[in-house]
Amino acid sequence: MKLLLIGHPNVGKSVLFNRLTGANVTESNYPGTTVDYTKGYMQIDGEEVELIDVPGTFSLDPKDKAEEVAVKMLKDNEDSIVICVIDSTKIERGLYLALEIIEMGYPVVIALNMWDVAKDKDIEIDLQRLRELLGVPVVPTIAVSGWGVKELVSKIKDAKPRDISKIESKVEGTS
Amino acid sequence: MDENMKDKIGGLYFGVFGIVVFLVGILEIGLGVLNKTVHFGPLIFSGYFMLWRGAILFFAGIFYLLSVKKFSDVHQKAKAMVASIMIWIIAGTQIFSIILDSIIGDGSRWFNTWEGFLSSYAPPYIPSIILLPFTLVVAYYVLSNKDTDEKNEMIE
Amino acid sequence: MECEIDERWKLVDRIAEETVTYGDGKTTLKDAIAELTVKPLTGLPIALAVLYGFWSFFSAFAGFFTDGFFVRLFDNHWLPWLQGVFPGKGSWYYFILVGDPAAGNSFEAFGMLTSGLFVAIGIVLPAITAFYLYLIILEDSGYMPRLAVLIDTLLHKIGLHGFAIVPMILSLGCNVPGVAATRTLQTKKQRFMMITLLAIFIPCGAQLGVIFSLIPEFAGIILLYLLIGFIFFGFILHKVIPGKSPEILIDIPPYRTPSLENVSKKLWVRTKGFFTTAIPFVLLGVGLVNVLYLGGVIDWLAEALGPLLTTWFGVPKETVGPLVAGFLRKDLAVAQLSAIEMTKYQLISSVVLVNLYFPCIATFIMMMKEGSERGVRGVLEILGGSLLVLATVLFIWGGLLHLIWIMMGVA
Repeated sequence: MKLLLIGHPNVGKSVLFNRLTGANVTESNYPGTTVDYTKGYMQIDGEEVELIDVPGTFSLDPKDKAEEVAVKMLKDNEDSIVICVIDSTKIERGLYLALEIIEMGYPVVIALNMWDVAKDKDIEIDLQRLRELLGVPVVPTIAVSGWGVKELVSKIKDAKPRDISKIESKVEGTS
Repeated sequence: MDENMKDKIGGLYFGVFGIVVFLVGILEIGLGVLNKTVHFGPLIFSGYFMLWRGAILFFAGIFYLLSVKKFSDVHQKAKAMVASIMIWIIAGTQIFSIILDSIIGDGSRWFNTWEGFLSSYAPPYIPSIILLPFTLVVAYYVLSNKDTDEKNEMIE
Repeated sequence: MECEIDERWKLVDRIAEETVTYGDGKTTLKDAIAELTVKPLTGLPIALAVLYGFWSFFSAFAGFFTDGFFVRLFDNHWLPWLQGVFPGKGSWYYFILVGDPAAGNSFEAFGMLTSGLFVAIGIVLPAITAFYLYLIILEDSGYMPRLAVLIDTLLHKIGLHGFAIVPMILSLGCNVPGVAATRTLQTKKQRFMMITLLAIFIPCGAQLGVIFSLIPEFAGIILLYLLIGFIFFGFILHKVIPGKSPEILIDIPPYRTPSLENVSKKLWVRTKGFFTTAIPFVLLGVGLVNVLYLGGVIDWLAEALGPLLTTWFGVPKETVGPLVAGFLRKDLAVAQLSAIEMTKYQLISSVVLVNLYFPCIATFIMMMKEGSERGVRGVLEILGGSLLVLATVLFIWGGLLHLIWIMMGVA
């Protein structure tokens, strides 16, 4: 099993990566590109799991080298679970990326990072409802302080592939 | 009182107080480095860890000064609160030590005499004890904030 | 099934519409304070204040009981009474139990019932109570995990990636639960590193207590030297030992007011543990050293190790006795050292030595127990490895301090 950490640039993805992995982090060049990515290891229930910090990307419709690598990485690691890191203050943009990944058939866990900043900006997110609609685990986190990281890890094994049409019908059904 | 006005006064108050705390901090650091004891009215600057106390007041002063701008923001109030807590720690443990010292008698006497007990509480005091009452203003701002706080406990 | 960009955005909008509302939430003061305590720029000054609070509370509390009551009780009442009524002055058992018949205070008598009881009850008990009380309040208020995050962030920066702070802080109370707490660490490498570093560098609460009570003026420099050693050798071990060290995840509870019931319950459990394990060991330690004195073993050791101690470590050979006692109880060793005549630099060196060399017997047993989960090989790995590291560190770090004194021209 492999884990891919995907998200927009500047959503605290690297901080979260540091909180999740320990030492033995290797930085390397993705084959055939000039884009660097980091790889580390973490433990889930005593099992060692590789975690790859995918370069920040806005969508899976690549517009630059880094995004190309991100897409390539997804394709090269088809059996991975994806942790999609979303900036809680810009949830729409993040959800778009998350939906794209869900559509590709990956099991996804969503980390709503910068939860504290969202609170500061008076943004309230109905977590329960979001989980219901998306059908994937959604965990609020504050990577800089480590808050919620443990819960995030405990939810990784709950990630399952989700059919996008189910999400659509859920959303339709309620509105 | 008008909320806006209240926060303006708060900002002003902690601005002035912050400067005082900051200066006392520097004074204590200076005297601590020189290893000097100075009496000044009800104040005494002395002791082992004056340097340490000075450093804490120095930072507390900075925190107060940082809190002044847009004092209505809860993050700004938190800075003033933390600075006050830092002073409470110094003053609180010092008062604790004064209380314990007042109980013990000298020589072969187990407990202190009544006069000795009372005189233990006489000045001089370290600056943080004098600063203590002035920090309590922060409690007013925190308590008046409280009703909004309770509605918004962290989601567990 | 794939959908088009527009459709996807529509879906996103619908979801956001239903789940996100703007303008209702508000950061509470608690959250804002919590944030300030973990950010290094504000967190470190706060930690400085908390640490000061610890020292100040500790010295007031321990001073009250030790100097205010126990010193008088033992020196003015217990010691003269015991010296008067105990039979067999000059005999071997008088020496072991009461010690020096002419001693004017319990501290320098060196008997099991005099120095032993005094150190255990008069000095260490108040110290350990004060220490645990403060520690428990920090734990229950929710500050401790935040301090852990803060220190962890800093350690990340100097290359000690994924380090366990909790066993370290526990070890400041007593190394035994500290070693036990390393079980939460994931890999063999982490456990080995942590156990070894703890046993070598982290002084326990009892030892800290004696240092703070008897030689407070040197406490800062001693602890700083040990801390630098911890970080330095931690860094080297991390590079040298093969294996992985994944990040340790900790729960961050919200700040809350500690409940009196919980604090007192925890305090009782921990000090009770101290009573049953520490006091017998302190008494045994004094007894053992006295027996070894009588048998001439200490003098023999002092002669044999003397050259090494004086030339390499720069401490007088009389420190052999306390160093032997330190195998049983390090607090006792520090107490005995402070009664030996030497320069303050030699005193600092010898207290550092007591810290670095062999872990006390309780920790030692605990280390064996930890290793035994993986059979004889595990025990050998932990003990062999730890002792090897220990010997290396002892010589380098102990010798370096002597070198520093020489260069300062004070040794």
